[in-house]
Amino acid sequence: MNVTINQKENNYHVILEGRIDTTNADQFQHEIEPLMTAKDANITIDCAAMEYTSSQGLRTFLMLQKSVIAHNGKLELINMQPQVKEIFDITGFSNIITIK
Amino acid sequence: MNRLSRSFSARLSVTVLVLTSILFVGAITTVSYFSHKIIAEEATKNASNVLSATALDIDRTLEKIESSVANVQWVVYEHRDDSTYLYHITQEVVEQNTEIVGNAIAFIPQYFRDRHFFSPYSYKDSAGHVSSKQLGNDAYNYFEMEWYTVAYQSRKPHWSSPYFDEGGGQRLMTTYSIPLMDEQGEVYAILTADIDLYWLNSKINALRPYVNSQALLLTGDGGYVSGTQMELQRIQNIFKASKELDNKRLGVLGEKMTSGDLGTMSIRNDRNLAFAVYGPLSNGWSAAIISPYKDVFVHIGRMNLIIILVSVLGLLLMFVLCFHIVRKVTQPITEFSVAALNMAKGNFHTHVPEVTTQDEMRQLHDSFEYMQKSLNLYISELRETTSTKERYESELTIARNIQMHMVPTDFPVSENVSLYALLQPARQVGGDLYDFVIKGDDVYFAIGDVSGKGVPAALFMAVTRSAFRFLGGLQLTLSELMKRINNSLCDGNTMNMFVTLFAGHINLKTGQMWYCNAGHNPLVLIHADGRPEYMRVASNLAMGVFSGFEYQEDEITLEKGSRLLLYTDGVTEAENIEKAQYGEERLLVFAQSVAAGDTSEQVVDHLMASVKEFTGDAEQNDDITIMTISIPK
Repeated sequence: MNVTINQKENNYHVILEGRIDTTNADQFQHEIEPLMTAKDANITIDCAAMEYTSSQGLRTFLMLQKSVIAHNGKLELINMQPQVKEIFDITGFSNIITIK
Repeated sequence: MNRLSRSFSARLSVTVLVLTSILFVGAITTVSYFSHKIIAEEATKNASNVLSATALDIDRTLEKIESSVANVQWVVYEHRDDSTYLYHITQEVVEQNTEIVGNAIAFIPQYFRDRHFFSPYSYKDSAGHVSSKQLGNDAYNYFEMEWYTVAYQSRKPHWSSPYFDEGGGQRLMTTYSIPLMDEQGEVYAILTADIDLYWLNSKINALRPYVNSQALLLTGDGGYVSGTQMELQRIQNIFKASKELDNKRLGVLGEKMTSGDLGTMSIRNDRNLAFAVYGPLSNGWSAAIISPYKDVFVHIGRMNLIIILVSVLGLLLMFVLCFHIVRKVTQPITEFSVAALNMAKGNFHTHVPEVTTQDEMRQLHDSFEYMQKSLNLYISELRETTSTKERYESELTIARNIQMHMVPTDFPVSENVSLYALLQPARQVGGDLYDFVIKGDDVYFAIGDVSGKGVPAALFMAVTRSAFRFLGGLQLTLSELMKRINNSLCDGNTMNMFVTLFAGHINLKTGQMWYCNAGHNPLVLIHADGRPEYMRVASNLAMGVFSGFEYQEDEITLEKGSRLLLYTDGVTEAENIEKAQYGEERLLVFAQSVAAGDTSEQVVDHLMASVKEFTGDAEQNDDITIMTISIPK
């Protein structure tokens, strides 16, 4: 799992690679944390190279979504692979998180 | 020795002893060499002094004889034609010179008309009585004698080789002869003086710088003149003696002496090593003093013996002292070693040896004490950690028991329905759950999976299960049931935990089923004809995410003989060693293999076995829950 965050003013472009599972879910949350405090942030997460997420990873996405709403920002997940999208669909998370 | 070599003090002492011994041997050798050299020089000087004094003494005597004889030649010249007076002259010479025992004036042939031989001769016998006679005749042809021919031909004075006078009582004699010349320079007679060398013996015998010294006086051709060297007294010539005795060094000494050198050399004398000092006399003879080495170096031997004795005693004393001092100094090491062994055996409060010095031993003591304290601290911490861990483990075991009893294990089997479920957590406690509530002909059931694992998931699972158990008994519509459970879970959910839940309500009389999927995996419906399919149902949001979310329910009528196969993602995402997942397709294949006669329990067990067979030795990474509801025909 690898997280790269590029920031330009309020615009955050995040590149997410690999698997988010039990072994690295805490690390993923830790790396994402800066985005949870940003105000009016416009966050785009590129999930092209993301292979899988466990329920703990979903929890982190949920926390991020909630904090973005609280901070009056915007969150978008893009280029998501179908098998990952399916996880978001099944759990209903695609209803509360914008996936393009 | 084995014990000695293992003792540090003994080893150090032996090392010191060996090194000191090497130094001592070096020192003794050096002292010995230089004292030997000094004594040799001293001996040379000593012998040379004695030798030159004696040589001077002998020279003086010989010169006196030479001058006496020289003085006579003028008297002879004046009276050379008075044959009677010539006898008187020889008589006078013999009487007035104690060393001269015979005196002759040997005229050349025909000096006196019709006299072939004419040689007036006077001599002393052993009693000192002087007689005279004419020496030459046919029997004693003095013209062929050495004393005559050499002086005549060389026209110079000549000392003959010493010889034993056979007539006059075995006396060692030598003859000094000088040629007498007229105004024309022609030799007309040879004047001779026979000298008794008895006096030489006493002088030579007095040459004794050392008790066992031997003296030697040689002529110019190596002949023995006098001395105390026994072999030469017998053989009479040094070169002959060298050959006869097979003693080359004696020959070398002879060569050096006869060539008139002054010096020293070592030779073998009477089988002993000896030290020879030699020097020339003015008449072409040479004298030597031969002293045994053991006499010359007698003091050095004794001195060396004393030095060696003192050294050995000193070394022994040093060894004993060194051994005891080092043993005393290293005593704490032995004690530390015992203490360390005690600690290694687990006696962490063993006594640390006392050290009174302020040296490296003190440092060792301090380090040891520090180590002991650290070890004690570490051990007590370890004990605490271990007991804490044991407590946690025991608490987790209890928690697992509690959790396992939270889910029902009494499964209903009736002619209308057969339900069976199995929950296997990946860790001691897990976040999966299943539950069911039966109210008459109504069966409420649920299967769920909390995000994450372990204790947090287990706590959230307990909350979910309690909410379902309580609300399920209220016979609400499914959507209302789900909404209330969700609201209850959202209340105080600061950690953003969530649970995916599939819940259903079957009326056993009608076969109607109302169901709602809150973000859970799709269930498998196995039709009465054995054909399985995934029930793709409207996916609502997982529970605990947003309070007040409106859940949508669906409805279906279950035919007799159909089954529902519910599971958590622990089944479809079970991984083998190659990281391949069990997957939905494999699950569908399994569902096809379910026989119509299998009980719900058999279906669950077979699926669990199928998953285990797939994962093999790989560790179970997620909780696995399987539930089967069969509607008998």
